[in-house]
Amino acid sequence: MTGEKKFYLTKEGLVKIEKEFNDLKILKLAKISGESPKILHSEDLNQEYLSFQEDLSFIESRLMELEHIFKNVELIKTPVKVKQNIIDLGATVTLEQKDGSINEFTLVGSLEANPAVGKISNESPVGKFLLGHKINDEIIITSPIKVLYKVKKIKYSLS
Amino acid sequence: MKNSLNFLIEVNKLKEMPRTGWILQGAKNPETIAEHTVRMAFTAWLLGREKKLNIKKLIKLAIFHDLCEVYAGDNTPFFYYQNLEGREGEKAMLKGPRLAQKEKKKLGEKKFILEKNALLKLISPLNLNIKKDIFSSWLDFEKKFSPEGRFVREIDRIETLLQSIEYFGNKEKIAGSSWWEQTEEFVEDPFLLEFLKIIQNRFYGKRFLRNKKLENILDFIVEIGKLKRMPRLYWKLRGVKNPETIAGHIFTLMLMVLIFGREKKQLNMEKLLKMALCHEITAVYTKDTIPYDINFPKDKKELAKILEKAPYSSKDQKTKKFLKDYQEEKESIKRLFLKLPGSLESEIIQLWDEYRNRSSSESRFLAQLNVLAILLQGLLYKRREKKFSVSALWEWVFEICDDPCILALMDEMKGKL
Repeated sequence: MTGEKKFYLTKEGLVKIEKEFNDLKILKLAKISGESPKILHSEDLNQEYLSFQEDLSFIESRLMELEHIFKNVELIKTPVKVKQNIIDLGATVTLEQKDGSINEFTLVGSLEANPAVGKISNESPVGKFLLGHKINDEIIITSPIKVLYKVKKIKYSLS
Repeated sequence: MKNSLNFLIEVNKLKEMPRTGWILQGAKNPETIAEHTVRMAFTAWLLGREKKLNIKKLIKLAIFHDLCEVYAGDNTPFFYYQNLEGREGEKAMLKGPRLAQKEKKKLGEKKFILEKNALLKLISPLNLNIKKDIFSSWLDFEKKFSPEGRFVREIDRIETLLQSIEYFGNKEKIAGSSWWEQTEEFVEDPFLLEFLKIIQNRFYGKRFLRNKKLENILDFIVEIGKLKRMPRLYWKLRGVKNPETIAGHIFTLMLMVLIFGREKKQLNMEKLLKMALCHEITAVYTKDTIPYDINFPKDKKELAKILEKAPYSSKDQKTKKFLKDYQEEKESIKRLFLKLPGSLESEIIQLWDEYRNRSSSESRFLAQLNVLAILLQGLLYKRREKKFSVSALWEWVFEICDDPCILALMDEMKGKL
């Protein structure tokens, strides 16, 4: 397993893909057997999702992808109290710029990253630079422009 | 990587090259070659699926078909004519070219060689696989080797015809007959001939046999045309002169998918291409959006200054904005796809939803390519105007990108631009 990429997921993220995995297995079974199981009519799966999933080969490749993720998953956990002043996966970080404007992100793995809702990947340049820093640390990304971030707050609130 | 970036910079010129035919006939704000390509890709997909053709190939042929024009220029059928000036020239352009068979063949061959050499020059620095792919696709389009090649060649004419109707209307005295003449000389696929009848029903009041499905697809294609006329809001607010349109941006993104997406063997290329086409589709009704949650100041200079910096906000604010935009876009989607065939509607909605929520590998990769496409455009504007700041764009890239291939391209852009 050495050299395999790790997939960091929050508990919520893991539950979400486990559900997707189970739903896809049922869908695959239904396609192969030509039946339409009752679960497919529940509110949890909307019709738009079902229609698109009609392609069996897509289902199979997605199942393989998810299996690979499960084999290499690592849950993001809240660190012990003494380490909660250090930025790590799962931390919600408040950054301040020189002009006082505030930016806030939570550091997650690449599967859950969505900067539009404030979740950035630990493998993004900003994510990489933030890891291991503490409050009041100044982080500078200098290439090709200079971006200065000052760490104002670090919070862990994973369930 | 370096050569791919140089290639992208060169083909970006197609976003600033208006199509010659529209200029000659006096259309206002004519579409560019890139914008035409994007609606052609959409049209090829939507109609090609009815014929169960290879969609990935159709889209690829559409995207590659006019790349040669970066160096060859956009040559219309009036390429054949020596002199198109004055009233005689104007009259000549209202009808299709009138030439002997021998002359058409000779000039057609001349055009083919011109475009072939232009394309070979354009792609020569690329790696062998991409070079072969682009050249063989172009050749397929020109020589109609495959069913997809023949189909896309005809779609090219149909999309142009549709655009001519949108510019000049349906009155022969104003619009002329050249667009129809050229289309009817070219199109022979029975399915596309039927589609032409639907166009005539819609725009000319004819009463050929109705086909609800094709009528609805036509309506959708007409709506998509709006993306050709919508300048990207962020550039517009930043004061960029003649900013790229949404369709122009989609063109760059499609090319980046075709060049860089091929390295990602685990990703579904067809899905990537379709997703790239659809990712801004809601702008047809919601208009373009930007990731800033601000009340725009009336003073343009003050606004431009705000937009020079990356949008900073709390997680709550980001989530609220995301949900608000997402809801509005979802409403827009319902209107846009109301009449499309059920499975197509589902497919496009699913693609858009995956993209918005970053819920698949393809959507995550595409979102990163998207922000790099924006950065590339910003860097090209900076080349034009030295004072144009791109700091905000770099900050976005630093936040959003984590794929190794994307980060390598980002490093290349740091060095080059």
